[in-house]
Amino acid sequence: MPNVSVKILLFATFREKYHLKELMVECDGSLRGLIESASKILGEEFLNDVYEKERGKIREDIIFMVNGRNIKDLKGNIELKDSDVIAIFPPLAGG
Amino acid sequence: MGKILKVDLTAGTLRSEPLQEEVAKKYLGGKGYAVYLLYKYLKEYEAKGILPADIDPLGPENVLIFATGPGTGVPGFPCSGRYHAMALRSPLTGSVGSANSGGEWGAFLKFSGYDMIVIEGAAEDPVYLSIIDGSAELRSAKDLWGKNVFDTCRILAKRVGGKNVSVACIGPAGENLVNMACIMNDEHRAAGRTGLGAVMGSKRLKAIVVSGEKEVPVANPEEFKEISKRCLENMRKNRVTGEGLPMYGTSILINIINTAGALPYKNWQSGVNPNADKISGETLAATYLIRRRACWGCTIGCGRVTRVPSGPFQILESEGPEYESIWALGSATGVNELDAIVKANHYCDEFGMDPISLGSTIAAAMELNERGYVPKEDLQGLDLRFGNAAALVEAVWRTAYKVGFGKYLALGSKKLCEIYGHPELSMSVKGLEMPAYDPRAVKGIGLEYATANRGGCHVTGYTISTEILGIPEKIDPLTPEGKAKWVKIFQDFTCVVNSTVNCLFATFALGVKDYAELLSAVTGWSLSENDILKIGERIYNLERVILNRLGFDGKDDILPGRLLKEPMPEGPAKGHIVELEKMKEEYYRLRGWVNGVPTAEKLKELEIEL
Repeated sequence: MPNVSVKILLFATFREKYHLKELMVECDGSLRGLIESASKILGEEFLNDVYEKERGKIREDIIFMVNGRNIKDLKGNIELKDSDVIAIFPPLAGG
Repeated sequence: MGKILKVDLTAGTLRSEPLQEEVAKKYLGGKGYAVYLLYKYLKEYEAKGILPADIDPLGPENVLIFATGPGTGVPGFPCSGRYHAMALRSPLTGSVGSANSGGEWGAFLKFSGYDMIVIEGAAEDPVYLSIIDGSAELRSAKDLWGKNVFDTCRILAKRVGGKNVSVACIGPAGENLVNMACIMNDEHRAAGRTGLGAVMGSKRLKAIVVSGEKEVPVANPEEFKEISKRCLENMRKNRVTGEGLPMYGTSILINIINTAGALPYKNWQSGVNPNADKISGETLAATYLIRRRACWGCTIGCGRVTRVPSGPFQILESEGPEYESIWALGSATGVNELDAIVKANHYCDEFGMDPISLGSTIAAAMELNERGYVPKEDLQGLDLRFGNAAALVEAVWRTAYKVGFGKYLALGSKKLCEIYGHPELSMSVKGLEMPAYDPRAVKGIGLEYATANRGGCHVTGYTISTEILGIPEKIDPLTPEGKAKWVKIFQDFTCVVNSTVNCLFATFALGVKDYAELLSAVTGWSLSENDILKIGERIYNLERVILNRLGFDGKDDILPGRLLKEPMPEGPAKGHIVELEKMKEEYYRLRGWVNGVPTAEKLKELEIEL
């Protein structure tokens, strides 16, 4: 698998918990690969925070965006490219 | 049943009338009951030969209503410290005036012995209305006229003394008939939109102080206790109402809406603000936030108490700013200094003005000015350029007092842009400035803005919940498909919430079924989910009938040309416009409307008697 370099942005409670606004991650281009690579930097807990191991999917209750698009709105298999920007939010609302 | 206090300011008389159960069963309370009463006034005027178009929004013939609902002030009813205010006509839009506010005033009005207040006529000299333990009277407000919101609230609260005292009032903006003036209560809470503060000012009604300890009746207390316990527990466990909103307040939305390419920037020239994080909820929490504040009966506590400790925009203690205020005073104007936004927002509260309409109007003025459409002499030294924080703060008080260029800003963006020959630069619908979501990146909210009865409004049909936040389910913001259905559901359900009256934020954790059960237990009526949605639909349609009588129809269910013709220049929605006509066609079909007008069959189906 090719190596890609992407940027992860953390928001709200994730930013507070990991004391970090953004980080660069190299991975194989899959979402699972991305989370695993990020977990090596942020710690194992990050994997549990955003990923459901049993289902092999990003957690349903968080908001996970690739280049401004929620992955729930993207069709087909998601393959990350160099310079993609990943934004991760906990459940939130306002008005 | 409860009571309505009817006040004739021209005659200086007050009378009490009982709420009618048959009306409450059809329209619930709050907004619904107020819409019913406004329609009755309109019919009475027509019978007297006064045409709807002849009703001056700032004349004595306009009617102003303060309304609570069956949920308001009931201990254990989630987030039920609110009230809904309405007027037959808004000075900003010429359409129905409508706004909603939290704090304590709504609950304390109930405790004072009344469910609703209807204000007719206009006083010769400034007055305030006092309702203490069921006893209502008009008193001179000559000593209060000219005072700001904070002083007015504090003076009247001290004058009454005791517990459960709350003041709703206007500031200088309302007195000066600024079109986007608010009704303020509890110092920092606002019935913000459609210029109801100017209506109150035109009636020379400075304030309404309420106090009392009357218990609010619940028909089936044991049943209610169980349902309430379950709902409150769900709200505490819910990660939005139990964690996100309490921790960060509403401005937590800045970053996600910007990431989705939907945060309007520099008068909607883009949906991406490159410096959004500087004005985000996360930054506010890390800088100026002192503590949070909850409204009466609220377990969420999204209110922010803030302080700017030093510098030119120093404020020792304020509240807010909310997401919408930060956007309108900040992103829309290109100002990314959070301390200046906190200060501008503080002035909005102090003088009593709607930050959404004011910020958007200032943003429109900035674009007019940068494009060279405003003569220098009109500006009188006010350097309105995008990003100029000092000019933003200066513009706020100039507007409240109609000083210099402030007299143009006080008209709102629609009239301002018309005066300078470029109406296309007003980002408003039906004269009401749109809030903080660009529908080129969130299509459904565009349909809501276009069809919302009160004009460019998000909270009467908050599709952001499903399009961006995934509540109750996630749908794609970039497609127009299927949006009409959601807009209708949100609009009808929100009518129920605003007639209950409780906070819309409770609906992030509670659904239609919860409301049906809560309302059934409180009223003693057996209300199903379908029943309450039908009540909501009835309210929305009767409000639309009033709009039609005032001359509004499908030609007014539109969006500014920028959103229909200018593709989004950047971000995830790059290249998108709003496919409004397609969505509107489906929406009218679902609503049973033709060209924005409910059909006779639809009105009959909803048992609306005209």
